[in-house]
Amino acid sequence: MLLNFPGRKVDVEIPHVAFATGIGGWAVWYCWDAWHANAAVENLILILPVSLIAIVLYVFVIAGSIKRANIPPEGSSLHQPVSRKTGVRIAGSMALLGAFVLTGPLIGFDVASFLYMLLTMAFLGERRILVLVIVPLMFSVIVIYSFGTLLSTPLPVLILRGQS
Amino acid sequence: MIDFHALFAALHLLGSSWQPWAVVIPGILIGLLVHAVPGLTTSMALAICLPLIPYMDFLQALIFMTAMYAGAVFGVAVPAILLNVPGSAAAVGTTFDGFPMAKSGKHNEALGLALAASCFGQAVVYSLLLILAGPIGRLALKLGPPEMLVLSLWGVTLIGTLSGRHLSRGLLAGAFGLLLGTVGLSARGVPRGTFGSDLLLDGIPLVPAIVGLFAAAELFNLAGRDYIVDDFTQRRVQAIRILAGMRDAFRHRGVMLRGALIGSGIGIIPGGHAIANLLSYSVAKRSAKDPEKFGTGDPRGIVAAESANSSSEGGSMATLLALGIPTGGATAVMLVAFSMQNITGGPSFMRDHGDIVYAVILSNLAQVGVLAIVGIAFTYIAGFVVKVRLRMLVPTILALAVIGSYALAHDIAGPITLAVFAIIGWIMHKFDYPVQAAVVGLLLGRGTEGALLRTYQMSGGHLGFLLTRPIAIIMFVLLLASILLPRLRSARSVQRKEGVLVK
Repeated sequence: MLLNFPGRKVDVEIPHVAFATGIGGWAVWYCWDAWHANAAVENLILILPVSLIAIVLYVFVIAGSIKRANIPPEGSSLHQPVSRKTGVRIAGSMALLGAFVLTGPLIGFDVASFLYMLLTMAFLGERRILVLVIVPLMFSVIVIYSFGTLLSTPLPVLILRGQS
Repeated sequence: MIDFHALFAALHLLGSSWQPWAVVIPGILIGLLVHAVPGLTTSMALAICLPLIPYMDFLQALIFMTAMYAGAVFGVAVPAILLNVPGSAAAVGTTFDGFPMAKSGKHNEALGLALAASCFGQAVVYSLLLILAGPIGRLALKLGPPEMLVLSLWGVTLIGTLSGRHLSRGLLAGAFGLLLGTVGLSARGVPRGTFGSDLLLDGIPLVPAIVGLFAAAELFNLAGRDYIVDDFTQRRVQAIRILAGMRDAFRHRGVMLRGALIGSGIGIIPGGHAIANLLSYSVAKRSAKDPEKFGTGDPRGIVAAESANSSSEGGSMATLLALGIPTGGATAVMLVAFSMQNITGGPSFMRDHGDIVYAVILSNLAQVGVLAIVGIAFTYIAGFVVKVRLRMLVPTILALAVIGSYALAHDIAGPITLAVFAIIGWIMHKFDYPVQAAVVGLLLGRGTEGALLRTYQMSGGHLGFLLTRPIAIIMFVLLLASILLPRLRSARSVQRKEGVLVK
């Protein structure tokens, strides 16, 4: 994004600045939280100095990001814009993963993994109905069986109860 | 240095029965297979097999566990190369050049390089162990909290400065990781950074976080493509090319030997297993005439990381056998196996069971040959991953990773951690922050805090105490040199270029 400063224009990569600020902000909050919990040396011996270092580094990152904005370095993220189609695929994959993570323990990993596999494969372009059904089905049965029976690790399940 | 009486007794133990050998191939196969599933760890596999231990005699049990360990040490390289998912911190360095090689269609060669370097590293460390088991154990005793502290900081700064083009972003990622690694209950018993959730009291679940950070960046990006290797003519899986990769590894004998020696030395230190591959990679890159090639699919990168990774396993075994101190999760489980057989590890174990120690070392030397053969077959089969469409592979790996992380954490903290770190990892990758630095910081955060605290307690708050620790001082000087020297060198080279242009 182009910003007008007195005498010159600079190009600032707002998403990057926001991300770096997120890290810097979290470091400040974390230090404060640890201090608030207990201000003893034992509690802050690493957190305090590392947080301070993180803040100093954050300042360098932001300064470097603005300075470099006029002449972006070769291969920097400014030169690698994600196409709209790829962006949608990535955002959709993230959203489906988030839904799987949240629903798995609630509805059971057998059903959730079947649905997640089916929906993600369809979202990423698989159109063969047989593949869309058989691959997720085989995956769910084999994985739930393996974790439940072979690895003795019970998982929350809805249908394949005998296997977990 | 070698106790020949114990050595001959060990040869007799191994030669008089087939039983100790019967567990080698199953052990190696289990170790290799474990790391095919993101989220499963060597220590988890060893723990799952613990119920089998009472049915074996002690030597057989030890050989079984070391065979699993040997298989797993190489096994982590397979997903690291093919999918950029290292599975454990010990394979982080392997991803740097392994995945770029796979993406350019050289997956066969990359797997071969890793297998050869892994076998070579293990052969070197167990040969060294045969001669130096005693002195190595005594050296490990000299490393206290101050040395551990410097080593941890070295690990984080090294990887922060090594990967990526922006020093400040690399160090910020490392500092971010270190802070994340301390989330949870402190030494004072107070919760920090938990947002009031009980799920984070034990800290951030490490394996889900690591899998999330690594798997995310690449798997989400891969979701936009059809295959890992774009060119279909490059997708062939050929045993002959795996063998060519193995042969190619020996063109870099110096890098491989140096990596093996670094791994052997660092592996004896608790937590060293995670750093050895990075340290070796960094040394290989810095000493190369063309360091800019590293990270783009340079065979030397794989060879350096893998030889150090595999040899650090032997170093860990040295500490376990000589001192009875586990240096990581896997050796901690092995110590449990010791106790199941009513045997206590440590210096007395070396004294009383020298024949067993030598038998384990000799069997591990033999396992190197078995691993080379089984490894070729395994990598050949694993190589077919490049032929699978990514629209099937990506959801399969992510679903396995989520279920594996649930199984590991036993609650929703695992999957949530994975998803959150998946997104953080993708953003870090996008803005050129080295994810590896955050991972190493995350891994070492808790240990670094403990080492710093113990150093503070030992010193009574007086900095002069550090002057009495020469090993720590040397390591600290090396740490500073590893940050400053490359910067000075590059500044000088820029000045030289500018001078030439002016002339």
